[in-house]
Parts: sequence; C-alpha cells; structure tokens
Amino acid sequence: MFRLTRRQFLRYSGATGVALSTGGLAQAASAEDPLKIGVVYVSPIAEIGWTKQHSLGVDAIKNEFGDKVAITVLDNIFMPQDAERVFRELAASGNQLIFGTSFSHGTPLQKVAPRFPKTAFEHCSGIVHLANLGTFEAKYYEGTFVAGAAGAHMSKSGKIGFIGGFPIPDIVGPANALLLGAQSVNPEITCNAIFLNSWFDPGKEKEAANTLLSQGCDVICSMTDTATGVQVAGEGGAWSIGYASDMAKFGSGKHLTAFVLDWSTNYVRAAKGVAEGNWKAEARWDGLAAGVVKMAPYNEAIPADVQGKLKQLEADIGAGKLHPYAGELKDQDGNVKVAAGSVLSDTDIRGMNWFVRGMIGKLG
Amino acid sequence: MRLRIEQRPEPSAQMRIAAPVIATALTFLAGSVLFAALGYDPLITLHAFFVAPLNSINGLSEWLLKASPLILIACGLAVGFRANIWNIGAEGQLIIGAIAACGVGLFYPNPESPLLLPLMFLAGTGAGMVWAAIPAFLRARMNTNEILVTLMLTYIATLLLSFLVHGPWRDPAGFNYPQTALLPPAAMFEPFDYAYRLNPSVFITAVAVVLMWLFADRSFLGYKMSVSGAAPLAARYAGFRESSAVWTGLLAGGAAAGIAGMAEVAGPLGQLSPQISPGYGFAAIIVAFIGRLNAFGIVLGGLLMSLLFLGGETVQMTLGLPAALTRIFQGVLLFFLLAADFFIYYRLRHIPEHA
Repeated sequence: MFRLTRRQFLRYSGATGVALSTGGLAQAASAEDPLKIGVVYVSPIAEIGWTKQHSLGVDAIKNEFGDKVAITVLDNIFMPQDAERVFRELAASGNQLIFGTSFSHGTPLQKVAPRFPKTAFEHCSGIVHLANLGTFEAKYYEGTFVAGAAGAHMSKSGKIGFIGGFPIPDIVGPANALLLGAQSVNPEITCNAIFLNSWFDPGKEKEAANTLLSQGCDVICSMTDTATGVQVAGEGGAWSIGYASDMAKFGSGKHLTAFVLDWSTNYVRAAKGVAEGNWKAEARWDGLAAGVVKMAPYNEAIPADVQGKLKQLEADIGAGKLHPYAGELKDQDGNVKVAAGSVLSDTDIRGMNWFVRGMIGKLG
Repeated sequence: MRLRIEQRPEPSAQMRIAAPVIATALTFLAGSVLFAALGYDPLITLHAFFVAPLNSINGLSEWLLKASPLILIACGLAVGFRANIWNIGAEGQLIIGAIAACGVGLFYPNPESPLLLPLMFLAGTGAGMVWAAIPAFLRARMNTNEILVTLMLTYIATLLLSFLVHGPWRDPAGFNYPQTALLPPAAMFEPFDYAYRLNPSVFITAVAVVLMWLFADRSFLGYKMSVSGAAPLAARYAGFRESSAVWTGLLAGGAAAGIAGMAEVAGPLGQLSPQISPGYGFAAIIVAFIGRLNAFGIVLGGLLMSLLFLGGETVQMTLGLPAALTRIFQGVLLFFLLAADFFIYYRLRHIPEHA
C-alpha cells in the first residue's frame, strides 16, 4: 500500500512540476501579470489525508482562475526554522498571497507577515491573526458528532474507539463530540481513547487500533493522517470512521462515513479577495453549514431510515438548531462543565482540555 | 581481465585533491542526465541549485544560519570520531541543550538581565555534556556500546521535550497548543540586521572550528586520541588511557550539540515546540565525514550540506522541480563524495587472467 502511494506521489508531483513549468512559460507571454500565489505544505501530497485535502483547495483556485494565477507549491516543510525561510522567500519573490497549512507554520508566519505588510498571508489551523495574516479552521466536532451518531446506530457492543495524534484541544474536542453524538442515540455508550503522541506513525496506530478492538470497540474513529485505523478496523470486522478524506476504499466495506475537510471555499475566497483588492485578514471557523466539513457518503449497510436521521442531524447542526456541545455536559468525574440550556463558548471549545463523561482514557 | 580492490601502501596525495573534483564532476553529469530526462534544462537547474540561493544577502544569511549548527556539531563529533568513539546521539544532546537554555530564558527571575544569554549558553553546554556523560560513563565503566546508548538517549530527549511542551512548559496563552511562550528579547541573539535572520551565534561556531583545529592538529591530547583511534593496542602500550578518550570524545560532542541547541532556540526558533531540530544532529555526522574529520573540511562540508538544502528549495520554488527529485540529487552528490574518498586509501588493480 505504502509503496503504491509513494509511486503515485512521484508520478503526481512529476506531473505537477511539468504543468507548473509549462504554465509559467505560457503566462510570461500573456499581457497581464498573473496573481502570484505561494502554498507551503507540511508533508508530501499523498493519496489521502491532510495535505491532499489542501492540494484540492489549490486545485480549486486553478479551476476558478486558470492562467490568471501562477501558483508555487513547496511540500514537506515542517520545521519552524525552514518554514520561516520559505515564507520569507515566497514573499520576497513577489507572491501576493501565501498559504501556510500547518499549526507548525504559525510562529514563522507571525514573524514574517509584519515584514511584508502588502502581502496577504493565510494560515490554516492558526490561532493568531494579524493585520495581514488571516486564519481558517474547520469545526471538526460537527463532523465527529454526526459520525458518532452513525457509529452508535451500528455498534452492538456499545463501545466505540478513538485514536488521536496529541491530546490538544483540536483533537480532544472532536473526540468528545464523537461520543456526545453517539450518546444522543444511546446514552449508555462509552468511548475508549488512545493518543499516539505523533502526527504520523502508522505502526503505533496499528497497535492502537488492535488494542481498541481487543477492548471490545466495534466502531473505530482515527483522527490521524493515515488510513491505518480504518484498515485495521475493517480487517478486524469493526466499523470505521475516516478523517480528512473519504477512506471508504481502505475499510473492507466497513467504512461508515468520514468527516471530510474541504478547504476550497477558503482558498478561492482568499484568491478572489486579493485579485479584487478587497482581501482582509479574518479568523474563519466553519463547519457543516459552509461545507468546510462534509460527511462522506454513508455506508450502504446503514438502514435508510437511519441515514435519513443522520442527514437531518447534519442539517440541524448546519442550521444551528442543534449544538454538539449543548448542556448539560459533565466531565469524566461527573462535574457539570456546561449547564443545561447553555452551550460551550467558542473560546472554551478551542481550549477544550477535558474529557466528557463516558470517555475512557487519560489526557496526556 | 579482472579487477581487484587493494589498500594503498600510503594514502594517495593526488587522490586527496582529485576526489572531491571527480565527485563533483560525476554529480553534475549524473544530475544533468536526471534533469534532462525529466525535461528540465540541466544548466538552468544546476544554476538554480548552486548559484541562485546565494544571489542575495538574505540568501547568504540563510546559508550561514543553516550551516552554522551543522559545522558546530560536526566539530564536536569529529573529536570523538577520530578516536573511534561513535557518538551518534548529537540530536538528543542538541534537544537537551535547547531545553535547558530555553528553561533558563523562560524562568529566570529577571527577563531583561544581560546575563540571560550567557547563562543560557552555560545551561545549554552543560546539559549537552550531561546527556553525553551518560554514555561516556557507561562505556568507560561498563564497556557499554556508546552507539546504542547515544541513539537511545535521543529518543528519551525527544520524549522529554514532548512532555514539557505538552505539559508543564506549555504557553498559558497558547490555546493549549504544544509550544512554550516566546523567549524575552534579552534571551535571544539580536540579528545583525532585522531584515535577515543571521545572528552572532555564528561566531561561536567560528571559535569552535579554531578550537577543533588546535585540538586535533596541535595538542598532545588530540594526538593521543588519534593514536587510540588508529591503533588502540599501541595507544595502550604507550600508556594512553582509553577511558580518557571516551570521556573527551563524548563530552566534546555533547557540548557542541548542546550549544547548537541553545543557538537554535535563542536564534531562529525563539521558543520550544515538539520539533526543534531538522535533523541537525544526524546531518552533522555526514558533515563530519565529508570534512574527513578535519576542522576546515568540516566547514566546507557544512556549507555544502546547507547549500544543497537551500538549493533544493530554490529549484522547487523557481522551476517547480518536485521535492523528491531534489532529494535524489542530494543523495547522488553525497554518494559520489564519500565513494570518491574511498580511492584515497584503496585502488583498483588489473589482474591478468592467467595469474
């Protein structure tokens, strides 16, 4: 599997390189200068996963603007020292709009942006925004809530499992929402959570998924950058929930759904704003309503009436009728964290560092 | 006709000079074929790789900034490598140095004190040496393999860093994200010019290069260490203690890596996050060997590695060359460089068929 992915990556990136270089020549000949855009990925573009979804956003810009844009892409820029140099180079070489796509790009962007006040910077999963540094992020928890409900409908053991990278709010919050969604169907259901303490470690992820299976979990949600969790669950006869990309083809027919990330509106809006001269640095945080989070097609094994309920759930969350973190919410020790009738504030969601009741596992 | 590899009676003086030239020529040739096969003009690509990155002051500044930790660590490692002391855990010693230095910078009672940077320097050096003292003690006292111990301690250092930035040292104003607060300005090296990132920590590297040269070529201890590396039995017969070579080699590497960690955190980073080194500790091993464990060779090796890295980014940015291709090219160059060195000590001989 890995080998295949890598080969495809080589072919893909080779093709991109050729396309970019010939594109560059064509543009040089045209009268009007194209809008120069720089994009920095944290890892190579694989078949699925975080960076793949960002590359689809970049493709959306290309589809929308064609040869009116010249896009420079750098992949595998992870370390802050390297990121700062790359952002600086991109800005200095005349790119008018620059995207950083990882949390680790945050501090470098905050250092570079003030030096290039005329350049527009956009940072995915950023927390600090400046006069010319905008941020955009997805409400993952809206997706996991719906996925959790789907899992609870299909689970026989009443136990679901969650695998995450690090116990940071961006992961802990969605894990909580997964269980809350499941509890909206079956109040007794519980969720075992395991953190890998790594963003990318298929070996550990496989171990974690097997552990969850042996603990009796029959639905596994893996919020990591690989399809390993989905794969192991499928091989072990358990249902799975994918993250970032639709992972159905890895799930041995047991992939229930995935909460897919679609950044294209963010990419196209920023490019349009800069092209028309009305770009402003914003902090955007969107979910199901804006289509930044989407549910992948539901597994055919889910009965039609249940699928109807899940679609209704998506619509209700999108319309704001239902909030995943609506009270009453208790933590693992039974303390009330959100009173009945109120919802968790956005700030508290972005800083969530506690597990809801029914989560089994420790933070850190 | 058959060929046989045999050791030269004396290292070849001509090959010593010719090896890098041959390697460079072969790399350019192989690279040109590679680039041409994929539809890129070889001359333009090579220009973008080796010349374009250094075309601006910013480029030069970035070049030295990236080369500095590589050279510094490689100098420290070479002290041990000359005596066959294999410290491959400089990455861990760098991380521990960075942790200690950042700890001082964050928690020293007076964040404006001019003593902050010197204290951080001492903390980084000390912590790197302590981390290297563990394998030194185990090797000197219990004959434990220092390759394994130094490597394993790298993982421990990484996990310690991860624990600190996810837990006790996490920035209280950082939405629980795994990173520390930014260091106060007095705890950072002030860049020569705020338009660029290069800072006075390069002078530390310069001093380290001179010290390394004096130690290796001009000191009795350095001579003893070379002897114990080249001929351990002879060294023992002459009364040179192996344990002193072990301690010196590992502590020098640990100190250099610890300082490099301090310079990263007080320079381009300004804070700790779960990942603070782009593999400097491991790349420095290659630099030490490209430089043939010699101070000035290491300077050239570090500058080359740094340029390869920047060049890889430049070709990606200007020509859209895929990152994987640039990494292949970097690998080709390193391969030819190290392979050509082989012929300094060995030669190919024709052997007549009937022999």
